[in-house]
Amino acid sequence: MWRVRNLLGSLVFLFLAADPCAGKRVVDFGEDVRPILESNCFSCHGSSKEKGGLRLDSPGSILRGGDSGEPLFVVGKREKSFLFKVISRQDPDEAMPPREKDALSRDEIEIIGSWIDAGAKLPESAGESFLKTDHWSFQAVTGEHRRDSVDAYLGDALRKKGLQFSARADRRTLIRRLYLVVLGLPPSLEEVEAFVADESPRAWPDLIERVLASPHYGERMARHWLDIVRFAETNGFETNRERLTAYHFRDYVIESFNEDKGYDQFVKEHLAGDMMGKTVATGFLVAGPHDVVKSPDKALTLMQRQDELADMINTTGTAFLGMTIGCARCHNHKFDPIRQKDYYAMQAVFAGVKFGERELPERKDSRGRQEISDLRKRIKGMEVELEGLLSRGRAISASRHNDKSRPAIKAEGNVDRFKPMEARFVRFTILQTNGGEPCIDELAVFSPEEANVGREAKPSASGTLPGYDIHKLEHINDGYDGNSRSWISNTKGTGWVQLEFGKIEKINRVEWARDRKGLFKDRVPVKYTIELSVDGKNWSEVSSHRGRRQSPGADIDRDALLRLLPLEAAARGQALMLEIAQAQRRLAELSPARKAWVANFSQPGPTHRLYRGDPLAVREEVAPDAIPAISTLDLEISSPEGERRKALANWIASAENPLTARVAVNRLWQFVFGTGLVDTPSDFGSNGTEPSHPELLDWMATTFVEGGWSVKGMMRILLNSEAFQQSSFPNKEAEVVDAESRLLWRFPPRRLEAEAIRDGILVAAGTIDKRMGGPGFYLLEVERENVVHYHPKEDVGPSEWRRMIYMFKIRQEQDLVFGAFDCPDGNQVIPKRSRSTTPLQALNLLNSKFTMQQAGRMAQRIGRGREGIVKAYGILYGRPATEEEISDAVKFVEEHGMTSFCRAMLNTNEFLFVF
Amino acid sequence: MIKTAEFLDRRNFLSHTASGLGSVALASLLSRDGLLAAQRESAPGKVPVRPAINSGRPHAARDPHFQPRAKQVLMIFCSGAISQVDTFDYKPELIRRHGTPMPGGENLITFQGQQGNLTRSPWRFRPRGQSGKMISDLLPKLGELADEMSFIHSMVGKTNTHGPGENYMCTGFTLDGFPSAGAWTTYALGSETEDLPAYVAIPDVRGTPQSSVNCWGPGFLPAAFQGTAFNASKPLGNLAIPGGVPKRTDEATRAFLERQNRRHLRSYEGDSELAARIASYQLAARMQMSIPDVTDLSKEPAHILKSYGANDAGSKVADLRAAYGRNCILARRLVEKGVRFVQLFNGAYQTGGEGVSNWDGHKSLEKQYSVHGSVLDQPTAALLKDLKERGLLEHTLVVFCSEFGRMPTFQKGASGRDHNPRGFTTWLAGAGVKTPFSYGATDDFGYEAVGDKVTVHDFYATILHLLGIDHERLSFYHNGIERRLTDVHGKVVKGILS
Repeated sequence: MWRVRNLLGSLVFLFLAADPCAGKRVVDFGEDVRPILESNCFSCHGSSKEKGGLRLDSPGSILRGGDSGEPLFVVGKREKSFLFKVISRQDPDEAMPPREKDALSRDEIEIIGSWIDAGAKLPESAGESFLKTDHWSFQAVTGEHRRDSVDAYLGDALRKKGLQFSARADRRTLIRRLYLVVLGLPPSLEEVEAFVADESPRAWPDLIERVLASPHYGERMARHWLDIVRFAETNGFETNRERLTAYHFRDYVIESFNEDKGYDQFVKEHLAGDMMGKTVATGFLVAGPHDVVKSPDKALTLMQRQDELADMINTTGTAFLGMTIGCARCHNHKFDPIRQKDYYAMQAVFAGVKFGERELPERKDSRGRQEISDLRKRIKGMEVELEGLLSRGRAISASRHNDKSRPAIKAEGNVDRFKPMEARFVRFTILQTNGGEPCIDELAVFSPEEANVGREAKPSASGTLPGYDIHKLEHINDGYDGNSRSWISNTKGTGWVQLEFGKIEKINRVEWARDRKGLFKDRVPVKYTIELSVDGKNWSEVSSHRGRRQSPGADIDRDALLRLLPLEAAARGQALMLEIAQAQRRLAELSPARKAWVANFSQPGPTHRLYRGDPLAVREEVAPDAIPAISTLDLEISSPEGERRKALANWIASAENPLTARVAVNRLWQFVFGTGLVDTPSDFGSNGTEPSHPELLDWMATTFVEGGWSVKGMMRILLNSEAFQQSSFPNKEAEVVDAESRLLWRFPPRRLEAEAIRDGILVAAGTIDKRMGGPGFYLLEVERENVVHYHPKEDVGPSEWRRMIYMFKIRQEQDLVFGAFDCPDGNQVIPKRSRSTTPLQALNLLNSKFTMQQAGRMAQRIGRGREGIVKAYGILYGRPATEEEISDAVKFVEEHGMTSFCRAMLNTNEFLFVF
Repeated sequence: MIKTAEFLDRRNFLSHTASGLGSVALASLLSRDGLLAAQRESAPGKVPVRPAINSGRPHAARDPHFQPRAKQVLMIFCSGAISQVDTFDYKPELIRRHGTPMPGGENLITFQGQQGNLTRSPWRFRPRGQSGKMISDLLPKLGELADEMSFIHSMVGKTNTHGPGENYMCTGFTLDGFPSAGAWTTYALGSETEDLPAYVAIPDVRGTPQSSVNCWGPGFLPAAFQGTAFNASKPLGNLAIPGGVPKRTDEATRAFLERQNRRHLRSYEGDSELAARIASYQLAARMQMSIPDVTDLSKEPAHILKSYGANDAGSKVADLRAAYGRNCILARRLVEKGVRFVQLFNGAYQTGGEGVSNWDGHKSLEKQYSVHGSVLDQPTAALLKDLKERGLLEHTLVVFCSEFGRMPTFQKGASGRDHNPRGFTTWLAGAGVKTPFSYGATDDFGYEAVGDKVTVHDFYATILHLLGIDHERLSFYHNGIERRLTDVHGKVVKGILS
């Protein structure tokens, strides 16, 4: 199968079958046809000029045709052949040669016509000669290697330029670099100090092992991969509706990296996971945008489908093969040996793939059932143990703070007490809910004498959700509890409701609930104020959410409680939390009837080549195939749908494919060092760049495949290299030779990506919620009508403090703060992010409510004075502060406070870059 | 002006950076050349011109490829597809054949389905200006300025769906994810002012257009070149000092930040990316002063406010006109300050269904367009006049466009027109264009462009040409392809150049 197929094999067969001129002398290409082409056509279609990308001076290029992708002839049929049509001048606009006076003679036209009718026989080498390419990336990966380590190859190249590696970076820099590069999270102070103190010669390799074993490794790797496969959770285009179950694919990618699934298997599952018990992986095929605006206009519908398939082909080509196959949609590829026909052959592979949700197959085998019951038991056990630890934490917390704070807000009922005061109006204003428009089932107002004075009051509100009999304003003080007798505001997250008494009353208590029956826990006001007024104009606030404890159950709270415990117990608690999350994910995976946004499949009709990519200009039918310049899939034109994808998957994920492993290791290199050995990571074709270290690339590709395509294995090699461990300091002499540090005479520093910055801020503030997996959180408000509108959220709270990879990824729209940091919008494959520096980034990071909120949290966390300042430097930079820094900061903090100090520090280069 | 050959040389540029921050990070900012890149072509025989971007000042003015006719662009975008046959494309035959089937159109299926009969515009066309250009009563005040306009009546689109259509008109591609024309322009030229964003999008007060932020997005260009969206009613987010922070503290915080950064920079002397980030905070501080200043319309004299209808009130239409009028004044102020590309939207795809808040008049065109015309006409005319009186049209190109046009027929069983990308009208005014002038034409009914067709790629080839940019050499390498605003197409429409 890996031998280049002789395309002429089938042509010769056709020729024999179709030869209408048996018995006559068959027209010979070399003797009869070529001389005609030479005297009439070569001047424009030969070695000096290639008009329309067409050359007629070699059999191979005759077989290829011009850029248009239109074959020059249809074997046996002169009247259908492009070449014949133009030389016989059937359409004056498409006649060749263009000038009438240069027209071919009737005899010449007849010779070419008979040659086509007789089978258009070309010398046997023609097929192979077109498909042959000497471009480096199409050549087999070298199996023999001169050297046997990353450093040896890099060292050779450096020495040639009179350069060498820089000195080893200090340990604080190293651990911070390792964490930021591999986990996308900074190390904790304790982790830094432990590493600095570790005298074992294995300290570094051991640290690498611990980092690679962290579940956050998968999240970090997945972020990069999701850029490459243009993953997002909305449809894009004008409707841009949500795909609420697309997150399963994100979870799958994270888990795959964490369990170090072989990259070959990973690729196969992306393309044909439905046949390998991993249907969720086929979310890859339909992760791109698709236009759901349908019309009776047939041309539009056909074009939409062509665009969907183009997205799959383009992404498959660039992500796995580093080949811009998509370029051959309208014409032969301008740079690489990919014909327009090959594009449509690959389209035939995907022609049965449709967008939509589907239920993931249920696990019916007994092993699955057994595992489910085991998991449930295990989770229960772990939760009991965790609860024990948490209650110890609560006890410590209570004893330390002599906790006077008020109880957390509950959906089932809350009490706000205040000093008795006279009022004729009580207003309850909701500033934020835990999701959706706020709902209150009853607002009860009491006098010091315990009389419910609100029952007879006149209610009014900012607005009431229209159209629901169970949610009305009059329910607010009708004496009935529960969702079915409640008021709901008509604005998301906000609103106010007030009661006006018949006369001035003395009151000291308000009781309110979302649902006293305890069935509903959404729409709960979490930020609110209660105000009183005598005249309805001047209001005084008597109570609010402030001073209440955080709602129990949120993991961020748990984290804080665990941190109060002795180190070992805290670690045990954190491990339990992770294990519980993992077990729950596994349980969800095994549970039946999970819906997910993954590919749907059906046997497709025939696929045709389309002239200029126009769906109405249908040309010859094509069989499913890969890139024949490498090798062919040998599939029948009517092969079953699944077989097509499976064949392509096996073809890509093969050790013999010269592209797959090279492209993969190059991405890992870029991931670790910032720039790939090939710095056009999704283009290994002639328009891309050549590798800076070709031998090293091949050594890595070989090592990768021999190591079972283990991504962690390759990461281990790169991270243990001297190149990774050297300092990032500049060096004037080296810069003159290699300003971009492509030869790696130092570790090149770089700004962190949007996600790593946001995650890092949450870590610094101690607010990060490290729950893994599942549906994402929203950084935009969603306004759902026929089309969906998104409005950036200014205020975010604990539910948005998860790692940014779990942000519900909305096409086109960007978050208010981090969008400006070159965050891809999910519409295009992004193999490598831009890294721009703009004043808008500065404004966002300096002035956003998010920054202020987190700076405030961080200020609380680090404590006061000099000690707090020193701690801030440790948390943010992983190093002690210098005396100069401390004295500057102390002076600043004295005058402007700790929050402002944290606000500044979160904007510093040392925090925003990896060095 | 620096000679072309001189600024094309990157090494030469590196030694001439105005900010004095070396520009080693230039390459990593854009990082598209590649250490060992093959000589790529952006069009047959054409080598890309890589804008010499200083990473510390990505919006510093850059020289064009050749002597430009225009320095700035003001685009007025009518979202929802404004009808050519009810505004600028006068068709007597359509009036004559009113109420009869369109010849050859009997079986035509357009976006929403079947066609009814040819239907003349509810608004009368009259000769306007010295030139006598026929323009309808829907836009009488704009009509008065007919002599300032260069019409293109033979525009052709590629799609009849709004989202892809707006993508196409704003980015040259129907798909999502490509850089907008404004992003390309600022990528090429930077800006005439660094105190304001180089590229400002002014969304309609009612919301965003169908393609939303795609219309001013950076696509795969660095985020530095995206349009910054704000209008006269809604300020730019994160611009103000955070609530509760005294100004003195804010200044001290930024000073402390800079001291901390400078201490750190001692170990990384000469690193331009780090220095650029320090500089970006200084630029941000300047924007914090200049953006509120430019959006503050209170100093505009009463007669100006009146001419734009900026204080109109008393009805929903008047309120909308006032809001749009204020956006028009803002647009002029931005142009005045030197912002390179200003994109002003009229119409939004927000609540209310098709045609209510934009030009998508499928079902009750007369009723809906009466509102939209009244909102658009006076303020836009005032804007054009104001620009002229201040001499800004000398170097500013005004572009009036929409994603496509509409059918000369009414939809079957409805009183409005379906989408039509086969022939529609745009106009240009100001620097470098021939006026009064009309280029190209549609057929007798205004349905299909006949001869001198102008694609969106031709349209942008022309706009870039006026800005002194060769559209075939302005490219950006992305994911294996030298991408251009004009894809692999585009011819400068020489006929409309003055």
